[in-house]
Amino acid sequence: MNELIEYFVKNYPFLWGYMLDHLEIVGLATITAILIGVPIGIYLTTNKYLAGTILQLASVFMTIPSIALFGVMIPVLSVINQGVGFLPAFLALVLYSQLPIIRNTYTGIQNVDPQLRDAANGLGMTTLQRLWKVEIPNAMPLIMAGVRTATVLNIGIGAIAAFIGAGGLGVVIYQGIVRANTTMVLAGAISVAVVAILADFILKLIQKKLTPKGAN
Amino acid sequence: MIQFDNVNKVYEGDVKAINNVDLTVPDGEMVILIGPSGCGKTTLLRMVNQLETISSGSILLNGEDVTTLDKIEMRRKIGYVIQSNGLFPNMTIEQNMMIVPQLLGWDRAKKRDRFNYLMDLIGLNPDEFKKRFPHELSGGQQQRIGVARALAADPPVMLMDEPFGALDPIIRARLQEEFLQIQREVKKTILFVSHDIDEAVKMGDKIVLLRDGEVMQYDTPAEILNHPKNEFVNEFVGSDRVLKSMSLYTVKDLYKAFTLKPNFESKDIRTINEDTSLRVAISMILNQEADQLVIEDNEGNNHGSLTMDLLEQFLHKEIKGQEG
Repeated sequence: MNELIEYFVKNYPFLWGYMLDHLEIVGLATITAILIGVPIGIYLTTNKYLAGTILQLASVFMTIPSIALFGVMIPVLSVINQGVGFLPAFLALVLYSQLPIIRNTYTGIQNVDPQLRDAANGLGMTTLQRLWKVEIPNAMPLIMAGVRTATVLNIGIGAIAAFIGAGGLGVVIYQGIVRANTTMVLAGAISVAVVAILADFILKLIQKKLTPKGAN
Repeated sequence: MIQFDNVNKVYEGDVKAINNVDLTVPDGEMVILIGPSGCGKTTLLRMVNQLETISSGSILLNGEDVTTLDKIEMRRKIGYVIQSNGLFPNMTIEQNMMIVPQLLGWDRAKKRDRFNYLMDLIGLNPDEFKKRFPHELSGGQQQRIGVARALAADPPVMLMDEPFGALDPIIRARLQEEFLQIQREVKKTILFVSHDIDEAVKMGDKIVLLRDGEVMQYDTPAEILNHPKNEFVNEFVGSDRVLKSMSLYTVKDLYKAFTLKPNFESKDIRTINEDTSLRVAISMILNQEADQLVIEDNEGNNHGSLTMDLLEQFLHKEIKGQEG
């Protein structure tokens, strides 16, 4: 225990640097995933047939072990000389976070009371107005829950990206394993966990802020 | 004015939901669509604002075929109230009520004035409720807001789909009264779906009785109750139709129909106001509160006494008399 505290005190600049790397890659991947996943989720509510297929496909991505997906990325992206490093890790994380985001957006919008949709139509809202004023605000808690799941998931999987040279807190764990330094492994693992918990907490606050008072 | 001209709706597999409906809702009148579940009353209503398609025939809104109008624009000119009130939980009462004005781009001051006016109309304090959310209100209050929202942009036509159906009987009766009061002031052209014949009799200028998408009878409440056109109508309005029809008449109608002598005989006779419905008068007599009731007008003048005999005579005169 003392060793661990000592390690943190001595090496915090080193850990801090890896943490920022970690946040950068996870942050960018999650934001990209939201920008792709939310519109897909919304679109799927208008196309039931496609919804089944896409959700199935996203589930399939989830079942691929992360280390394998990173492995697959290497030869594919080597074609453009990006086999290791940031890009494959980024792409893998975007793919992983699609399922929770698409599924929650889709379910959230689907679960909006059909009577509200009927009222919105009857009052003369256009499809876009209905989406912005009624459906998205009322689906916000579920959409944000998906984003939170995706973020926490990505923070964990992001640690594995160190194996393909993407940096981040995984590097600390990886080096700890190689050097048989348990303290270092623990320090890396604890850092990842703390980042995940903090991120979830902050997103919870954002969720509260984004959810209209009456909608939950 | 809403005109239905030979309107049909056919679902796949030749299921006829609406069958050759021909009827006119005159300006400023409230017409009630009623019938057993599955008779197509809601479908017919929703065809007016194009929430349901029309298979053949046409629906004219002030002379214009609804299918030729811009859907969105047209819906903003039609007030729409649904049973579950349809208030948006994410918006405050003010935002909910001002949706259509908002969509129409009214300025702030105009919206605020309209909000205050409508809240007064439905008897709620504007400042108290403005910032509240729908879930903080009682069912009756929510439904009042739902009605006011439909009135927000002052549309000439209103469609109401069982607006009071989800409320308990006491609140429902109160809202019905209030809405009749409002209607006397705003005089909208209203199509109103109900499954409750008492509500239809109470609220409607006319009643459309539907079965399997077909109009069985389109008449005033008195005609429907007193002269049902066929066995189905007779059964639907119920064997107590005569009693129901009594709620259409007031004590005043009765004393106008006969020449009665003022009654000053007994002292402990109960009095009854001329605006009371005959249905209430009958219950008072049947409850043995008194075997005769002294009729008083609003100025307190004595117009003679009302007895069971007299009620029978009146019934005979009003209802049976028209048959011959």
